Amino acid sequence: MRRLIKIAAREYIAYVRTVGFWLSMLALPLGMGLVLGASGYMEASAPAPAIVLIDQTPGQTFGPLVAKKFSDGPGGRPRADIIDPPVVLPADPRAIGAALKPWLAGNLKLEGKRKLAAAFVIHGQGEAIAIDVWTDNPLLTATDTVRTVVAGQMERSRLEAAGVSPALLLQAAALKPTVTDFSPKTSEKASLLNRLPGVIGFGAAMLLWSVIFTGAGILLNGVIEEKSSKVLEVLLSSATVPEILFGKILGVAGVTFTVLGVWGTVGTILMNVFAPDVARDVGKVLMGGGLIFYFAFYLAAGYLMYASIFTAIGAFCETTREAQTLLGPIMILLTIPVIFLSQALRRPDTPALEIMSWIPPFTPFMMTARAASGPPIWQVLGTGVLMLATVALVVWIAGRAFRAGALSTGKVDFKGLIAKLRGGE
Amino acid sequence: MDAALSLDHVTKRYGDFTAVDDLSFAARQGRILGFLGPNGAGKTSTLRMVLGLSSPTSGTLSVLGAPDGRPVRDRIGFLPEERGLYRRMTPVEAIVFLAGLKGLPAPEARRRARQMLEEQGLGAAQNRQIRNLSKGMAQKVQLIAAIAHRPELVILDEPFSGLDPVNQQTLESMIRNLARDGATVVFSTHVMQHAERLCDHVVLLAGGRKAFDGSVTEAKDRAPRALVLEGRLEAAAAAALPGVTAVATSPLDGGGQRQTCALDPQASGQEALKSAFAQGLDIQRFELREPSLHDAFIVLTGTTPDQMEVAA
Repeated sequence: MRRLIKIAAREYIAYVRTVGFWLSMLALPLGMGLVLGASGYMEASAPAPAIVLIDQTPGQTFGPLVAKKFSDGPGGRPRADIIDPPVVLPADPRAIGAALKPWLAGNLKLEGKRKLAAAFVIHGQGEAIAIDVWTDNPLLTATDTVRTVVAGQMERSRLEAAGVSPALLLQAAALKPTVTDFSPKTSEKASLLNRLPGVIGFGAAMLLWSVIFTGAGILLNGVIEEKSSKVLEVLLSSATVPEILFGKILGVAGVTFTVLGVWGTVGTILMNVFAPDVARDVGKVLMGGGLIFYFAFYLAAGYLMYASIFTAIGAFCETTREAQTLLGPIMILLTIPVIFLSQALRRPDTPALEIMSWIPPFTPFMMTARAASGPPIWQVLGTGVLMLATVALVVWIAGRAFRAGALSTGKVDFKGLIAKLRGGE
Repeated sequence: MDAALSLDHVTKRYGDFTAVDDLSFAARQGRILGFLGPNGAGKTSTLRMVLGLSSPTSGTLSVLGAPDGRPVRDRIGFLPEERGLYRRMTPVEAIVFLAGLKGLPAPEARRRARQMLEEQGLGAAQNRQIRNLSKGMAQKVQLIAAIAHRPELVILDEPFSGLDPVNQQTLESMIRNLARDGATVVFSTHVMQHAERLCDHVVLLAGGRKAFDGSVTEAKDRAPRALVLEGRLEAAAAAALPGVTAVATSPLDGGGQRQTCALDPQASGQEALKSAFAQGLDIQRFELREPSLHDAFIVLTGTTPDQMEVAA
């Protein structure tokens, strides 16, 4: 135990001293701040798209309605800026695009060096109304706005023609049902508190995934460095394989959880300041029913399983390039849970997730993500026992592999790896 | 005197390959044992079994009274053949960490580290990162790390490789001091000169098998003395001299040849030399050479000199 702690402490201090550790500590908050700030700035600073709107219908009833809709955007900002055509347009709707082409393509600019985002031409009559959209931006949201406004007006015209009064139409448009979410568990109104376990379960599974990914990466590189610098043989003469293996895993877990702990503390403080109700609910969910211990169990077991594998692989390699060959299958294995985790957020009771929960490499992710749906206790126990047995087997094999790898020289191919695992040295 | 280390009919096989074959020897307490052999002779495999890093296929070991080095690892110091330290650590940190794994408390380890680094002329480098030290300096640091906890048994695998002559001399002096302080030192090498200068006892290994086990003097006695003649003389003429049992011929840079004549143990070198002059052989230089450990190794193992590396 003394040696295990010393090895763990050395691992921890070695990484905490590096610039990379502090960069990774700051990277997430800075990155998030940068992304949020940048998107907010882009939203606030981006001008409303310039649009040409031509209403060629008899009575020209659609144009003013669309213009009104465009002028009334979120936050009082217009959704689009309707401008006069920069050139005299032909009467034929099909020829309008060609006339505006230099502006739509950006070859000619509007006043203020703006580009013409789109031209909408509403034409036809009666119930045969058409909207021609001229734009090179297929994702322009203005198109939906025009379509909705025109369709609504056509519907109203049809109903008025059938004898429905405009007043009644206004009243009908104002009708909205009252929707209330109820929780089947509490039989009361559902609140954020009811939804939180699912979100936290998803978050915990993603946390486990990122811990494994970053922690195991650190472990792998650390062991490769020790192997290439021939330190491993000295360690093996001074401590047992389990002491070295678990010392390293513990030390790197300390590094990873220090980073997560700092992020978590900062996040908790910010949440308590800016959203105290949410912070209280998160606390209730984590502490209520021992969910935090449930997460901790899967986090520890999952990390141990994957960290052991990565450490053993590192012992066989002197360069990261060598490691990539052996890492391929593990990386594929680690990608699969991510694909299914978002599904777990929407439908945690999906049979596929239940089946995957019984596959030990996926158990920690799936059972964590399914926490919200309250999986049956027999499944929790069964998958837990199976996973623990697998963890024990993986750690045992990793121990043999680590010992064999640490003492091996030269490149190890797959056949050689199996032979060394069977021989143990 | 008791044996700090003994091997009894130890064999180690890796699949079909026999790395160590029926090896038995003992290292007595407080002595320096040289474990000699060319590369691939089985030295490192043997030392790994001693340390408990691998298990023998058959046979038994006794390491400080234990069946291998694992239960007594805190009483053993080990310097592996391929050396390495954590490059971003300082020498003091590396020594404190490795000695700490052997059970030496950190304050005492730090004190000894500083003292030993000073003694080896590394006082100024004690707080520099190891990656900034020369190879020789780093090797000294690693040796200090291996012995800072004052082990009873010190195992050094090819400790002289890669060192310049000055550092080799320093290392020899450190090894002598270890033995003087009561430690048993076992070191492997393929450079006979170090063993000749340092060892009380040598074990010669070739092809995984023991070729000799005894004192340096006993080993040298197994090799013939040689009469070296340089000049313009033929091998046949040298072979005909009295007491000469074999002749090895090699060309000289400035022309002529060197005839190295192995002498019968009972023969007199003086008689052979007298006979050569009496016959009027063209001899420009002669030398009556006592056998070295290198010569003994060749005789005892049958290994040709080109398989050995010349001492730096």
